[in-house]
This record gives sequence, structure tokens and C-alpha cells, in this order.
Amino acid sequence: MLGIGVGAGFLGALVGIGGGVLVVPSLVLAFGVPMRVAIATSLVAVVATSTAAGSVYVGSGTANMRLGMTLEIATTLGGISGGILAARVPTGWLSGAFGALLALTAVLLVSRREPEPAPPGGEGARGRRGWESPGRLAGGYVSARGQVVPYVAARTPLGMLVSFAAGIASGLLGVGGGFLKVPAMALGMRVPFKVAAATSNFMIGVTAISSLFIYFARGDVVPALAAPVAIGIGGGALAGTAASHRIHPVVLRWVLGAVLAFVAVEMVLRAAGVTLG
Amino acid sequence: MPQGMAGPGAERTGRDDRLVERTLQVGLAIGLGLMLAGLLVDAGSGALDARPVRLGALGASMPLGTRLAALGVLALGLTPASRVVLLVMLWGRERDWRFVAVAGVVLAVLAAALFAGVG
Repeated sequence: MLGIGVGAGFLGALVGIGGGVLVVPSLVLAFGVPMRVAIATSLVAVVATSTAAGSVYVGSGTANMRLGMTLEIATTLGGISGGILAARVPTGWLSGAFGALLALTAVLLVSRREPEPAPPGGEGARGRRGWESPGRLAGGYVSARGQVVPYVAARTPLGMLVSFAAGIASGLLGVGGGFLKVPAMALGMRVPFKVAAATSNFMIGVTAISSLFIYFARGDVVPALAAPVAIGIGGGALAGTAASHRIHPVVLRWVLGAVLAFVAVEMVLRAAGVTLG
Repeated sequence: MPQGMAGPGAERTGRDDRLVERTLQVGLAIGLGLMLAGLLVDAGSGALDARPVRLGALGASMPLGTRLAALGVLALGLTPASRVVLLVMLWGRERDWRFVAVAGVVLAVLAAALFAGVG
């Protein structure tokens, strides 16, 4: 279990995807853990990683907390809805939906063209840091050249709508939902990509606990599973971040994309009652 | 955006940012520390207790290792909630009432999820 956490955290940090996408299929396919227990375990791990990453992004002034809090109204309502829904839909449907999510993640992974988010932490080249404007959804971030660039978020209702969907995905499948929130903020609300990625990380913890409490109440949390995965994923993420400059990200993305596509097929087949091997 | 905001605004939010950062780090350390302690106690007793634990039954009889790990999950879960409480106070001090209300709504939703779980 510790190894699953370490592996998910390491690979997730290397290619920039959340650990939940890797934790759930590993627990279900390799260890035969029931789907809902695997999702609850993943949510605990997601809270741990996003709390660690979010604290760094807040400390560097990159995450916009007012923007994050505003969108959290939608993600928490979505998270609760997803958590409740997970108990009502058949397990096979959850496996199928997770397979579809994995396939989407694989496609996004190999087709990613946008610049990588700058590593968290660290102030601007000249000791500058980001800031946010009281009373409105606006702020400034430190660009790669060390300049403070101001921005104003637009189309908040669109961001809220997509955030609600991200919350449902998080609660239903045990993932962070950053694959929806980051584009919603960067493309939909015209927030700089760096701020969107940081704010998404900041938000994920609150989103995940809204459904984690539902799973915890239902008796789907197994502390003996959740503890090693959560501890391992933190260590793995630290190691992955440290190793990221020594490993070619494009090659790794293609390899991991192929693995995710294979696992996606297995999850969908499992949903249809077919098991490989 | 007026550049003047970047001066005092950056200084003020910088202090607040670091308070939020520390709160998250302390909560994470407590949560993971309790989980690790639970695993070590379980390992010391020679029996891994892989039973599910319900949020509303944390007070029920269970092995010490399981209880510690379950309390770790709870502490970890309350950590993001605690930063919402902290931001209500920080934004209240700034008289940023719009975002005090926004954070209050998030807190109410989280409280509903938590109390639905306990009750």
C-alpha cells in the first residue's frame, strides 16, 4: 500500500497529474479493494497531496484564495452530490466512468502543449511575490521573467458551472478534478495558467473533504489502507518533484499515457463483467 | 490594475498567506503523524486491523492503532476546513465582507457534510 502511494505520488509529480487517477485503479485491479473503499482511500491521499502543494502555492502568493474560495462553493456542493451519488450507482458504472476518466487523462497527457506550470515555491526573480485584490477576483502573479503581471478573472458563472462538475467528478471517482478546474479558470475565466494551476491545487483539499466526510460516514474509509497510501503519496510526490529535471517528460508522458489507456480498457471491461488474465 | 495595489496589498496578503501556509502544514503534520503512529502501533501488535471505521463511531471500541489512524484521517480532513475558518477571520479583519460571506457559505456546506456524517 505504501508502494502504491509512493508510485502514484512520484509519477503524478513527474507528469503533472493528480495521484487519485493512479491510486484507484491500482487498489482495485492489483489488490481487489472494493471500488468505493478505493475511492475513499484515494480521497484521503488527494487531501494530503493538495494540502501539501496548496500550502506551498499559498506561501509563494501564486494561488488566488478569493478566486479559489468562490469556486469552492460550487465544488463542495458538487463533491457532496458526487459522494451521495456514488452510493446509489452500481459499482460497474463507477468502474466504467473511471475507465472513461483514465482514457481522457491519457489523451490529455500525450497531447499537452501548454507550458508546464512553474514549480511551486520560490518568489520572483527579484524577490517579488504574487498578490490578490481585496473585494474582487483579481490579483497579480510573478512571471517567469520576474515581473508582476496583473489579471482580472472573468465569466465567474462559467467557472462555477465547471467547478460544480469537477466537484461531482471528485466525489464520485476520488480524484482532485484539476483536469476540469484548471482549463475552466485558464481558458474560461481568463486567469493566467500558472495562477489557475496553483489555485486548483489550493481548492482540491476543500473539494475532496466535502465528499470524504460522506464516505467516512458510510463506513467506506479503512484507516489501515488510507494511512500508508496517504503517507506514501506525500513522499513519492517529493521524490518525483526532485527527480523531474532528470527525466524527459515527453517520453514519460507517452509511456504513462499508454499505461493509463491500457488500465482504462481494463476498467471498462471490468464494468462490463469481463476480466483480463 | 493599479500598480499601487501591489505595494501595501502584497505586504498584507503576504503575511496572511504565510499564516494559511503554516495552518495547512501543521494540520498535515498532525494528520499524517497520527496515521503513522497508528500504523506503528498496529505493526507492533503484530496484527494489521483492516476494518472500515465510520465517522460517527470513532468513540466505539477498536484497537488503538486503528483509532489513531482514523483520528489521523479526521485531522487531515479538518485541515482544509480550518483554513476556511482562518480566512473568514482574516478577511473579516480586512472588512472584506463579500468574501467573508463567500467563505461562510463554504464553511456551512462543509459543516453540513460533516454533521450529516456524524449524525
